[in-house]
Amino acid sequence: MIALNINGEDRNVDVPEDMPLLWVLRDVIGLTGTKFGCGIAQCGACTVQLDGRPVRSCVLPAASVGSRKITTIEAVSATPSGKKIQDAWLNLEVVQCGYCQSGQIMSASALLDRNPDPTDRDIDAAMSGNICRCGTYPRIRAAIKQAAKA
Amino acid sequence: MKRLGLLFLAAVVVIGAGVAIFLFKPASLPDVSEAAAKLPTGQALIDRGEYLTRAADCVACHTTAGGKPYAGGLAFKLPFGIIYSPNITADKETGIGNWTDAEFVRALHQGIDKAGQNLYPAFSYAAYAQMTTEDALAIKAYLFSLPPISAEAPKNELGFPFNQRYVMRFWNLLFVPGPLQPDPKQSEEWNRGAYLVEAMAHCGECHTPRNLMFAVNNGKKFAGAELQGWKAYNISSDKQTGIGSWTDQQLFDYLSKGHAEGRGSATGSMGEAVDFSLRHLTPEDVKAIVTYVKSVPPQTSADKAIVEAEPATLTASTAYAPAANAATQDSLGLKIFQGACASCHGWNGEGLQTPYASLKGSRTVNDPDGTNLIQVILKGAHMTTQQGRQSMPGFANAYSDVEIAALSNYVLGHFGGKQSAITPDNVANARKQ
Repeated sequence: MIALNINGEDRNVDVPEDMPLLWVLRDVIGLTGTKFGCGIAQCGACTVQLDGRPVRSCVLPAASVGSRKITTIEAVSATPSGKKIQDAWLNLEVVQCGYCQSGQIMSASALLDRNPDPTDRDIDAAMSGNICRCGTYPRIRAAIKQAAKA
Repeated sequence: MKRLGLLFLAAVVVIGAGVAIFLFKPASLPDVSEAAAKLPTGQALIDRGEYLTRAADCVACHTTAGGKPYAGGLAFKLPFGIIYSPNITADKETGIGNWTDAEFVRALHQGIDKAGQNLYPAFSYAAYAQMTTEDALAIKAYLFSLPPISAEAPKNELGFPFNQRYVMRFWNLLFVPGPLQPDPKQSEEWNRGAYLVEAMAHCGECHTPRNLMFAVNNGKKFAGAELQGWKAYNISSDKQTGIGSWTDQQLFDYLSKGHAEGRGSATGSMGEAVDFSLRHLTPEDVKAIVTYVKSVPPQTSADKAIVEAEPATLTASTAYAPAANAATQDSLGLKIFQGACASCHGWNGEGLQTPYASLKGSRTVNDPDGTNLIQVILKGAHMTTQQGRQSMPGFANAYSDVEIAALSNYVLGHFGGKQSAITPDNVANARKQ
């Protein structure tokens, strides 16, 4: 049994210790908003937050989460930065196909949390690991800036 | 005059006969009955053997990537040719299933196979020669408790004279020690550490430079060496180029977990040594190894992998962004790092995704040659830990030589404060290893 705090709720899951957190979220808990992309921490689609820090859940063994609180796309709107980011995303119609977007939003809201007024360079450094096959990068950048002003 | 000639001829014949006897006399077998009588039997013996087989890390060489454990076939590319490790499972046709206890002990202590032929010292019998007969027998009991696997190792590819196995008898005469004698002046812990390091873990086989005869040169014990495209770093007690400035706790963590705070993580063959062998040892045994290794006299090596723990480039960075005024801010290396590496490693050397991704203080990001850095980027790394498997993917197929060279130079500058000049040719050569 592994004890996890997911979106504010304490959960005990009966899974092998090295099961990636993404498997636990999607297949055991049923939170399918977080997506599987590459499985090797190279695309960012599986990003969730641990204590507000973005991590790649596809390569994170569930047992290594410990007492850190997990936030997924399903609950990010309850955080101030998450709400601002999601509003800006809708305002600017950032999303095209949408597959990478839960990861983009989790990384972007974590960025805004620690840096209320990010420069282009800060955005590059924080967001480059989240890739988007549709190429929505200019809208992502614009939406982060709009959220920062909100 | 004629008489002198005859005498000379006689001397040549006698010496020639002596050498011939030395080279071709059938090797005798040791008597192992006394040692066998001291050992437990049944599962207790197998358990002891399992622990020792891990301590001696037999599996690392006698298993191919993805192959069955102990079934052999791993290639050793040496200056003289290619040697393949044999199958050491108990299979009667292709393994060692027909070997007697005495034959097994003779192999470990003298490097001689069942048929009496000499083995090559790619098999580290110069280390195992120092192992007690009891421990050697326990290892055999464990290997024979595993399911036999039928697997014929490929034939060695060696030219003359290296394909003449009897030549190794000269080598053995010069370089194979006897059993390790405890040093009464040292503590029990130190002596246990010496036994584990010398007779079991055979650290010197990689970490000690070799002489012209390709034997371990103990005049430069643990001074570091390069093999199969990787550096085995200096692990003597030298403060700058060795492990002299590591704390006991750092050494303990690195050996037992494959990662030490402020020292990075073990990768390549050392990662394997931790994963297959060292992490399975008892804390007491790892502490004994630390005690012994720290006592090995300092050897200053020419290696430039001198760690700068807190270069300005790191201290000015946060976990999520490099310093704003960094000179490298538009470089290709930085662009690749921020896209492919930063989400796990972070920018301040602490590691974002896992402590195993912390790069600060690691020799691999402080070596201007970039030898191991290029290999890790190409091949990736992994480690089994108590919190599951930690792994980094290999990027050999994802990036070109130009890109990996740029990334390597960026990483060395950012995480080690080093000026380096790694070229795409260096990366191309590393790919061939």
